[in-house]
Amino acid sequence: MKRLLLAALLGIGLLLALANAPNLGAQGTYDSIALDFQETLTDAQIQQQVEAIAQRYHVTPQLNSAFSAADHLYVVSGNARLLKLLRHSDLRQSTESIDPNYIYQAFEIPNDPDYSKQWNLRAINMEAAWHQTKGSGVTVAIIDTGVTVVPDLKDTSFVPGYDFVNDSTDASDDNGHGTHIAGTIAQSTNNNFGVAGIAYEASLMPLKVLSQSGGGTVTDIAEAIRFAADHGAGVINISLGGGGDAAVMQEAIAYAHDKGVVIVAAAGNGNSNAAAFPSRYPNVIAVAALDASGVRAPYSNFGAGVDIAAPGGVIDGENAAGGILQHTIDDETGEPVFRAFQGTSMAAPHVAAVAALIESVGIKDPDTVTAILQQSARPVPDDALNHYGAGQLDADAAVKLAQQDHLDVKDFLRWLRDSGYLNLRFWVDGGAVALLPKLGMVLGSYLLAWLLRRYVPVLSLSLGAGLIAGSSGLFPLRGFYIFDLPQFPFRVLGSSIPELGGAIGGSAALNPLFASVLIPFMLVALLLGHPQWKWVAIGSCLGVAVCLAVSAIGSPQVLWLGSGAIARSYLLVNALLCFGLAKLGAQAS
Amino acid sequence: MLSLQGTVQKSEMGAGTWALVASTGETYEIHRGAPQELLQNGLKVQVEGTVRQDVMTMAMIGPVLEVKRFEVIS
Repeated sequence: MKRLLLAALLGIGLLLALANAPNLGAQGTYDSIALDFQETLTDAQIQQQVEAIAQRYHVTPQLNSAFSAADHLYVVSGNARLLKLLRHSDLRQSTESIDPNYIYQAFEIPNDPDYSKQWNLRAINMEAAWHQTKGSGVTVAIIDTGVTVVPDLKDTSFVPGYDFVNDSTDASDDNGHGTHIAGTIAQSTNNNFGVAGIAYEASLMPLKVLSQSGGGTVTDIAEAIRFAADHGAGVINISLGGGGDAAVMQEAIAYAHDKGVVIVAAAGNGNSNAAAFPSRYPNVIAVAALDASGVRAPYSNFGAGVDIAAPGGVIDGENAAGGILQHTIDDETGEPVFRAFQGTSMAAPHVAAVAALIESVGIKDPDTVTAILQQSARPVPDDALNHYGAGQLDADAAVKLAQQDHLDVKDFLRWLRDSGYLNLRFWVDGGAVALLPKLGMVLGSYLLAWLLRRYVPVLSLSLGAGLIAGSSGLFPLRGFYIFDLPQFPFRVLGSSIPELGGAIGGSAALNPLFASVLIPFMLVALLLGHPQWKWVAIGSCLGVAVCLAVSAIGSPQVLWLGSGAIARSYLLVNALLCFGLAKLGAQAS
Repeated sequence: MLSLQGTVQKSEMGAGTWALVASTGETYEIHRGAPQELLQNGLKVQVEGTVRQDVMTMAMIGPVLEVKRFEVIS
């Protein structure tokens, strides 16, 4: 039994190591192989070798350039298979090296003069992503205040839209909000004018549902969603929100999703703990906003329903440099103007445009597009309040993942979501808990109990309750949200005793008062006389010991003590004290 | 009908957006068409109105409150 437990712990350690190991297979691409013949060979000898290769592998090595003769550097077209064959042949003796001739890629830097002010595009890794796709062949519908074709949208392609406010086929903008969003998605780029857009070869479909004052009705918005789905949109951007649950809206979203449309919406700007309607609906990607340093913008909604985070910008008084800059119209004069805006309204089109990039490389299923966006996002560690969803949007990683042959879409997560994982009453943040350390804590505490099996009833319920409370808490509850209610009760229930200090505020750092021998000591002192409860107290000592030891090794972050040697020693000393206390308590009874 | 006390604030989210920050902490977006006398930064008011469940906005700062009556406190 002891061996079995040790083997289980070893297994967890191995899994942890594997999960954290860098992807060793990730290398550059090549379609030719470089052969560097030894300097000492004569031209005749080299010619002999070249002819041998030509005969044997049906490829002809050629000098790399006019300057390669002296260095004896040849290239031959071929793949990994040929590389392996050559490396294992007797050619090895007459060469200095046989290596893949890796292709170096230049980044795409647009020539738009104000591109340098678009920190947001570099933040999502656009220059590398543009090298692979610019979104051609995909239509993005913009459900907003309409779109006016300002000069920096002149080279952008449009498909017919509709104005649901004034019932007209001319969906021009009279506010500036929709045109700004159109710019983020597909501003005319590499036109030596103004600024750049993300998927600038995609087509835009302007759908006006908000009046000049920036408000609109649920019925118009629902109709616009159906219009987009019926007229060939691959992606819909909805940078608006509010109101409540409405059947027409829910049905329109389900209709568009069934037709294969990716729906992206802004999470809302109320700095509140739940995404607004319609972004919180299932099958809508809710986007929170980041500032220029990649931190959640202070206005951005967070928590229940937030799926991913993207640049939304923060404008500090007169200083607009931290905002998102695009070409739009002035809301009073209607004249074209370059202007920086802030909001989750600006964050959503970043995600919608990257969704268009993913679709343009051939992924059409909306669930797969969503999975790619989330899996390729840069995760933000210690995101206890779900400020960032799956993480920060990364266009390059998303497009690269979309181009892989075998997509590892999390079918399990999809199944969970479709059967209640995500609905309008509650929501689960799948990334809230680092599962392996928690399982290690639970198993580790049982291992400690096993070591003391002479004194403690290993399989008793009360000891088990103490072990769980001390080591991990009911940790699956940590990511559980009920919409529009505070989440901290679940965080408290989902925390172990050492984690309780940071549970209400959602801090990842351990509070040294809670992460110590103090609470186990009080429990033992109070409960040692009771025949059943004493095992809860002793179990909690063992659980806390393991929790502190695992934290000391894995993430020794302690309030006031930092995360270095002091915090580590503090946690380890307290872990030992807890173990000693448990042993004394168990022996005494 | 909702009755609440709060402070009127000009919102940073979009041109012409006004917020009512209730004394209990919630932020409401004041529905367009409210009287000009109400829309003054820092005004403390007692307001009666309804939350428009059928309206969505680009500002998204909170529930949309259509003000029916208001009284200036200070």
